[in-house]
This record gives sequence, C-alpha cells and structure tokens, in this order.
Amino acid sequence: MNFVTMLEQISSGMLKTILIFFLTLLFSLPLGWIIAFGRMSKNKILSGITGFFISVLRGTPLMLQLVVVFYGPYFLFKWSITNWRFPAIIVGFSINYAAYFAEIYRSGISAIPVGQYEAAHILGYTKIQTFFKIILPQVVRIILPAVTNEVITLVKDTSLAFTLSYMEMFTITKQIASAQTTFMPFAIAGLFYYIFNLLISFIMRRLEKRLNYY
Amino acid sequence: MKLRKKILCGLLSVGAIASLLTGCGKKDAKTFTVGFDAEYPPYGYMDDNGEYTGFDLELAEEVCKINGWELKKQPIAWDNKDNELNSGSIDCIWNGFTINGREDAYEWSVPYVDNSQVIVVKANSGITKLSDLEGKTVGVQAASAALELLSDEEGQKELADTFKKLQEFADYNTAFVELQADSVDAIAMDIGVAQYQINGRGDEFIILDEHLNAEQYGVGFKLGNTETRDKVNSALKELKKNGKFDELAEKYGLSDMTCLEP
Repeated sequence: MNFVTMLEQISSGMLKTILIFFLTLLFSLPLGWIIAFGRMSKNKILSGITGFFISVLRGTPLMLQLVVVFYGPYFLFKWSITNWRFPAIIVGFSINYAAYFAEIYRSGISAIPVGQYEAAHILGYTKIQTFFKIILPQVVRIILPAVTNEVITLVKDTSLAFTLSYMEMFTITKQIASAQTTFMPFAIAGLFYYIFNLLISFIMRRLEKRLNYY
Repeated sequence: MKLRKKILCGLLSVGAIASLLTGCGKKDAKTFTVGFDAEYPPYGYMDDNGEYTGFDLELAEEVCKINGWELKKQPIAWDNKDNELNSGSIDCIWNGFTINGREDAYEWSVPYVDNSQVIVVKANSGITKLSDLEGKTVGVQAASAALELLSDEEGQKELADTFKKLQEFADYNTAFVELQADSVDAIAMDIGVAQYQINGRGDEFIILDEHLNAEQYGVGFKLGNTETRDKVNSALKELKKNGKFDELAEKYGLSDMTCLEP
C-alpha cells in the first residue's frame, strides 16, 4: 500500500471520527442540561435518580458502556441489533458525555452568588427570565474552559469505537498497520488527532475571548 | 451571533448526513454477513486499495454467488465474536477459525484448511525447539486457538507451565513489534498467519520446526443454524469441484494446507 492510499484510508476513517464527534456533542450538550437540572432539583427522588445515573456513567469505563449499549438490547430483550452498531455508538458516547457535562453545568450554576437571584427577584424578573437573562450568560462563560477540556477528550475517546468495530480512524489504522506489518499508520493517526484538537482549542479560545466582556 | 449560526448550521448538516447514512437499508436478496478479524492476513485483511480481502473473504464471495446471497463483510473485534454471532449481528465467523477444541460451541461447516499452531522466534534467539522455551515469555492472541491450546490440560498446558509468562495480545502486529523489541521471546500463532507476517517483515524471524499441534479451520455458525450451514457446505464442495477453491488457495499461498473434500 503506498503512502497516498494509506492517507486516503485514514482520512476516510477521520470523517467517521468527526461524525461521531459532532453527533455526540449534538446530543450530549443539551442532555447534560436536563441531567444537571434533575440533579439540582429540590425533588429528592429526581435528584437521587439523576445522581445515580451520573455516578454509574462516571464510575464505569466508557468501553464497557459501549458494549452494554450495543449488545444489551439483544441479550436483555432479544431485539435484533442488525442496524444498531452506529446508533449504539452515538447513544453510548452521548449519555456518557452528558453525565460529565451535567456536572460541569452544575458547577457553573453553583458558582453564581445567591444575591443575584434575590436582586433579580426584587427587580421583578420571573424565575425563567432570571435564568436565561442573568444566570445562563455568566454560567456559559464560567464553564467554557471545562467544556473545552471534555471536548478535547471526546476527540480522543472516539477511538474507543473500535470495540464495536466501527470503521473510525483508529480501527482503520489498526487494520492497515497489521496488513502492512508496520507502525507507520499510528504516527499518521496521531498527527491527525493532534491537528483536529489544535483546531478545536483554537475555536474555543476565540469563543472564550468573545465572551470575555469584562 | 454569526458564529453561533455557523455552528448550528454545521451541526444540522452533520445530523442530515448521519440520517442518510443510517436511514437507508434496502432488503432485496438475503444478505449473508460474515464476521471476520480484519487484522488476520492472509485470511481476512485490508488490501492495498483499502478493500477487505483475503482467502476466506474471497471464498465467502464465491459461496454467496452460488447461493444468490449478498455478501456483507463485517469486521469484528475477535474478543467479541461470540456476542456478535449470538446477537445475530453476523451470520457466521469465517476467518481462519479453528474447529478443534470448539466442536460443540458452533455449527461447523466442513473443514477446509489444515492448520498448525506454531512458535515464532527471532532467528538469532538461540531457541530451536519447544523445550528451549522454558522460562521464556510467550505472546499469544487473546481468545485465539493458540491460547486455548496452551491452557488446555489435554493440549499443551504442560509446555505452557514451563513458560515464565503467557502474555496476551489483541493483534499480531503489536506482538511482532514486542518480539522485535525483545519484550517477549516467542509468539504462539497459526502457521498461515505466521508465514504472512514473516514474509512482510524479512528473515529476522523463524518458525520452529516442531509444531504445537495440527488442527483444522471451518466456518462457525450459531448453534441450531444448520440451514445456512448446509447451503455453505454444498457451495464449498461445488467450488472445490470446479477448481475455484484451489485457484484461491494458490493465490494466497495456502495450496499445501487445504483439506476440502470434493
């Protein structure tokens, strides 16, 4: 296999890696808010359930969660899982990352002094207005560095999809490496991951600057 | 605001692509999904053009032609092969799959390749026979037939007990690099795969003349799935009769290892 074909193959895997990456963010970022609200709810049952959900998802390996999400439907309910491979990967990544995002959101919300809620109340803001107009803009600014951290981790974690033999970059790299009996593809893949992450940190830095309005 | 719109736009288009990728799945002819380890040349691997090929996959292709099935090549993680088969995400395991020791665990096709488990060492290691392995570290693929053989009382467990350590690997590429770097002293593996690896890496490695055992390859189906198994069997026999089977064996350098009866 010549160098160009190797690059082509690894790039085709990169596209799938990017697809996993964006779909995971698309679902986990909003889902994280729902979980964070559940976690912070005054309702003991609701906060208990979400607290348990978070502790399981953070307390077990993502690789194991992927295997459970993919094979679970068959072994528990005997459902056919023929077209379930890719959705299972997205579901697995999304719920795992949502749990982490939820805790980041919670830390951001807790960082806002109670006085601001009281002031908003006196000024006649409703609870919803207070949240969206006063709290949320500050929270977003506070949590951005922590979210960047998770997003960068996600780029690298996509490689765990090899457990379910999805043809993302790492799976393809391993296959090329063994067919060609060389370690060269790993160096290329490493470079690809690194460039992808450079791009992400660049975008996030710009975003942080833009939100740094004090 | 502009940036936010752009991000939203980007996310939406990714979503659209994803629904295209997963949404369609026409079912005309019966699909025959073969599960294989894509890191197992010459039986199943990625060729120079990035397509999956190999002796077993080309054979599966021919079997599908005879039966009018549509072949789907599904690479699997070897550790997960039983989950994949039992959950129905693949129809069979077809990838240099050793029958011996697993007779009752699958519905087996007729055996088609005579295989041996062998030991690969560095040419200059001074190891020339199995008894030299005493006190050495030996690498073996996880969930492989070689590992089963070395842990079986009736197999080569006695020999394995003399090793310093039995080191498990996910794939042979890593194993060979470790052998090269002296972190293991030997690798136990299938002879066909060993030959392919040594061809790709030069004469730095040798296969010990003394083999661990002799065994056979077959196609493994889920227990009870005799219907598909029988169809594959008769197709294999037909391929042997019309010479196609031997042609493929020749192509992959496996001619002196085949054992399929017409």
